[in-house]
Amino acid sequence: MDVHVMGVALHPAALRIGDKRLEEVVFDTAHDALGNAGISRAELDHVTIAACDELDGRSISSMLLAAPAGAYLKDEIKVTDSGMIGLCMEALRLSSGRFDLGIVASWNKSSKGPLEDVMRMRCEPFYTRPIGLNMTIADGLFAQAAGEAFGITDDEVCATVRAGYERAALNPRGLCRAVPAMEEIRASPYVAAPLRKAHQAPVTDGAVAIVLASGRWLKKHPGARPIARLSGIGWRTDAYNLGNRRLTGFESLKGSFGAALSMCGAKGFADLDLIELDSQTGYHEAAFRRALGLPKSFTVSPSGGPFAQNPYFCTGLVNAAEAILQVSGRAGAVQVKGVRRAAAHGCHGFAQQGNAIAIFEGV
Amino acid sequence: MPKNRAAIIGVGETVFRKHHPDKTYVELAQEAAVKALADAGLTMDAIDAVVFSMAPTQFMGVNDADKWAVDSIFAAGKPFLRVHTGGATGGSALHAGYAHVASGMYRAVLVVGADRIAETPDAQHILNLIWDRFYEHDVALNTVTMTALSTHRQMHFHGTTQEQFARVVVRARRNAMKNPHAHLKGIITIDDVMRSPRVAWPYKLFDICPRSSGAAAVVVAHEDIAKEVCSRPAFINGIGAIANTVFMGDRMGPSADTEMSEIPEAAYAGREAYAQAGITDPIRQIQVVELYDPFSSTQFPQLESLNFCKRGEAARLSDEGAFEPGALLTVNPSGGTLCTNPIGVTGLVRVADAALQVMGKAGEAQVPGVRNALATALGGSVQFATCTVLGADSV
Repeated sequence: MDVHVMGVALHPAALRIGDKRLEEVVFDTAHDALGNAGISRAELDHVTIAACDELDGRSISSMLLAAPAGAYLKDEIKVTDSGMIGLCMEALRLSSGRFDLGIVASWNKSSKGPLEDVMRMRCEPFYTRPIGLNMTIADGLFAQAAGEAFGITDDEVCATVRAGYERAALNPRGLCRAVPAMEEIRASPYVAAPLRKAHQAPVTDGAVAIVLASGRWLKKHPGARPIARLSGIGWRTDAYNLGNRRLTGFESLKGSFGAALSMCGAKGFADLDLIELDSQTGYHEAAFRRALGLPKSFTVSPSGGPFAQNPYFCTGLVNAAEAILQVSGRAGAVQVKGVRRAAAHGCHGFAQQGNAIAIFEGV
Repeated sequence: MPKNRAAIIGVGETVFRKHHPDKTYVELAQEAAVKALADAGLTMDAIDAVVFSMAPTQFMGVNDADKWAVDSIFAAGKPFLRVHTGGATGGSALHAGYAHVASGMYRAVLVVGADRIAETPDAQHILNLIWDRFYEHDVALNTVTMTALSTHRQMHFHGTTQEQFARVVVRARRNAMKNPHAHLKGIITIDDVMRSPRVAWPYKLFDICPRSSGAAAVVVAHEDIAKEVCSRPAFINGIGAIANTVFMGDRMGPSADTEMSEIPEAAYAGREAYAQAGITDPIRQIQVVELYDPFSSTQFPQLESLNFCKRGEAARLSDEGAFEPGALLTVNPSGGTLCTNPIGVTGLVRVADAALQVMGKAGEAQVPGVRNALATALGGSVQFATCTVLGADSV
């Protein structure tokens, strides 16, 4: 794939961004990404937005937010699955031959409203809504099924969570929260057995924007310097219903991973240096590692992943930004030495119905 | 210039009406998907990826309803994403499907969606929520009052009359008689429109689209597949889209970049699509247009912005019969959005109906000799526009 990263920006992480309207958050982040790329808005020929009306608290939220994202009088499209799916759409647009220089922007001011109320309304009205399914319960079902299938213990999950917080504490782009003690995690209450409250990555506010260009544009602008190449991308969806096969099959995760690896010519995880996983709970990281066949020695989420910041809808695209920073040697205190190829993962839907993987290479 | 050319090779639509009490939302989407696949002569195994077309979910009451639909439209295990650009959603979804194929990553893509606007007792209350909580909610802005304000300006600039708008409705309802999927249809008169209940000046009830439920789907395939399995594909020869500011006040007056009453977004999107499709003289090269026209006043400025006539001429040409089926330009032979508006798929219905004309499958509504057809979609505060040029020949 001939798609290149020109610049990237993350809004400063916060549990709650209380001093800005959402359009200011989006504008500041898109503006910073363009600044990071050294590209003016006028040069863009398109914009891709990934956002969720229900989480933004407004129908057709792109009416207000397209322009702050850079789309005033530009070709703009919005996807609603997740920030990472925005990157997938952007990769398609740049590869189509129709576009050359664009920005993908995504955000989530999760503090604006109760996330679980939005999630409950995602249930279809006949079976799952009457029983009160929400995100936490779906993750609990996942933890139960994956825990049993893979033999994941509470101790392992607690250790995984603590390790996530330890890495996150070093990430200057994260919240740098105190690392909880093992006892504290173990003693936290169940929210949907076997899932404990401390197993979950707390949701935060945040935004991310990435400027990308086609190879054709780069040839026309020899002075432009990309910071990374998007060399592989894959996305898949699983079934909606949370049966056992769905919860333990990981078909969309594995399918996305395989497609992205194949696109960039990698044979397996051994050809990658690290992966930033969208692990909403400790159970997820433990299960994803096993599903993807990643050995314990493989570097997972050096940024701390969602334990560093977790603007739920765009956490996957935050992972993409962190992977870009790794391959461009700009990850600061969480930089892993000698990274040439890094993967980023995003997921969405009840118990991760949809998954996407992007692979970036240094240039 | 796309790396890989793409064409529509299959079209599926349900019947559109206010309610479908016999089907769930996902069953509606399934019906359209099955019809499109059958029309293309493909099974789902041949489909590489799926794009879902769905605008605000507040009308039908299930957030992210596309995820619920995954199993019903046979998308599990495949690349899947949902596009949402308000009323322009269906047009944008088609463009997303096109990007899948043009990129070379996928060979055949199903673009499908469904909507049930009348699940909510008051769609305009939902549409009030698209506006700013602090400044605009309380002044009763919704999509009717929003476009009524714009229509004031159109009438002021060009002297267009309510009767001229009414003629558009009469033509649309008559055209829809030949469309088995249309929601509203029938023989009515200009007097009928003028006597219908006042809603927001200058709009009467018949000037306004219905709240429709139903689904639509198209199969977009690589040129190689299209030529192999389809005798008359509709090639996607040009796509264009634009996003303008939400603020209507910034789209009028001497310092504005654009004038809202002209629907200038159609001009931007059309210019781009025309350039790709080699359209230099639209009125001679394009035989059929399927315009996104939820209101009787939405056709004229689009026809002018898309260079089918000069600014201010469309109403007179309409009066003279230039936009009747088989005349100078056939406008909305399906009846258009005035007769059928399932918002989340309306733009896709425009594309589907335009594709049927190019493919020679429009039945009683078929216009003879269609080589090029154009479809538009509009969204938000009429700030989003898409334009798609379909052709019998690949450009």
